[in-house]
Amino acid sequence: MITSASSPQQQTIRLSNVCKSYGNYPVLKNIDAEVARGEVVVICGPSGSGKSTLIRTINRLEEISSGSITLDGQDIHAEMRTKDLNLLRSRIGFVFQNFNLFPHLSVVENVTISPIRVKGVAPDAAHEKALNLLDRVGLADKAGAYPGQLSGGQQQRVAIARALAMEPPVMLFDEPTSALDPEMVGEVLAVMKGLAAEGMTMLCVTHEMGFAREVADRIWFIDAGQILEVASPEEFFKNPRHPRAQRFLTDLRH
Amino acid sequence: MIGDIINIIKDYWLLLLIGQYPNGPLGGLANTLILSALSIALAFPVSILLALARLSKWGLLRWPVTALVYITRGVPLLMLILWSYFLVPLLTGADVPSFYTMLTTLVIYQGAFLSEVVRAGIVALGPGQMDAARALGHSYMGAMRFIILPQALYNMIPSMISTFVATIKDTTLGYVINVPDLTFAASQVNNQLLTQPFQVFLILAAVYYAICWSLTHVANVIERRIARKRAGVVSRQSPASLAQVKVITEQP
Repeated sequence: MITSASSPQQQTIRLSNVCKSYGNYPVLKNIDAEVARGEVVVICGPSGSGKSTLIRTINRLEEISSGSITLDGQDIHAEMRTKDLNLLRSRIGFVFQNFNLFPHLSVVENVTISPIRVKGVAPDAAHEKALNLLDRVGLADKAGAYPGQLSGGQQQRVAIARALAMEPPVMLFDEPTSALDPEMVGEVLAVMKGLAAEGMTMLCVTHEMGFAREVADRIWFIDAGQILEVASPEEFFKNPRHPRAQRFLTDLRH
Repeated sequence: MIGDIINIIKDYWLLLLIGQYPNGPLGGLANTLILSALSIALAFPVSILLALARLSKWGLLRWPVTALVYITRGVPLLMLILWSYFLVPLLTGADVPSFYTMLTTLVIYQGAFLSEVVRAGIVALGPGQMDAARALGHSYMGAMRFIILPQALYNMIPSMISTFVATIKDTTLGYVINVPDLTFAASQVNNQLLTQPFQVFLILAAVYYAICWSLTHVANVIERRIARKRAGVVSRQSPASLAQVKVITEQP
């Protein structure tokens, strides 16, 4: 279904020397990292460390102060016409902590509005595809409902379907389960695991260490705006090298 | 008393309804309704444009409109009406009919007030909706049109109706520059009768009340219909998001 993820073209996200500050206060310091095609990266770290800011710079919801971020070699923060930026953004799926579904539209309209209005997909085709996507996230029966009638977990699954409707080769998740009641976390993680299994390139900010251990190819540990450690999950959870990461993991276990 | 009122209506209903027409300009209730309807119909789109300009990232767009809103808010409508009435012919030499002077002044004045209502509605949505729309690739104006404004305007219906009703009531001020509306007609009647001001102006008050009440009623029906269409869900934002005025200034 997500054909674009398995396109032969090699694509990566590359962050080079990314810095961002609010006034004199640095939020991101010299971030250098990359995500390979099909890779699942989990970004973790204490709150206030800059995780969310970092992921929001990747589709330019936040501007950066210096450095560059590229998707398939295309500089996301370069001077460009807004039209091109919109096109670029539509190729990066983004899932928010608070879902941000459009409450005045029905579930299926939430999923179809962007393909129709942004990509110019015919309404019938968009509708059919939306129903497929909703089926995939287990919500085919909620197509006619409104976001306010759904539980948090259901809303987040709709939000994932909405992002997938644009057929992005990359998906970003900004703490997708943090606003959910505990019993709804699993259903959202299951959808994300399914995506990962299909080879979607994913970058997730999350506190779900079980998900990180099971699904991530690599973990970026970030604190005070810096990536302190990049490691595979086995390494990271068994032998974190950086003292700050060790303390973070100890704190998590308590 | 009631007999007096009935007699006044019997004798002057045509004057109150259409003024001197067809022997003079159209006036009375007909003109009041036309002036009100045109003011509201023009002030509404103007207010959306003003609100968008006030939220723009371009100072060149934002500052003049902000100044306009502050000035109109700080000056009584009556002063604005008198200014336009005396100044425009003085500056341009054009002989503008008082009806158009009144209409333009009302559109600017109520447009500025309404723009603050619209802006509040947009800001109150919080930044999340705009973020989501932009992340999906919508342009700023596209997001406004399909995502932000449909919610903001709906949420603001009660406040907008208040402004619309105020607009209708403010048409009475056209009296001072001789706009031939219902108030003008009523005062003509009063000048002829001389002894029954209470009865005449009671009729006037009753008619204005009926017009404003009808508008409120229509608005309530519309609001209920939209609410039903949206299955009564529109989830209200948390108060915290109201604080985030940062929002929706235009981003690249």
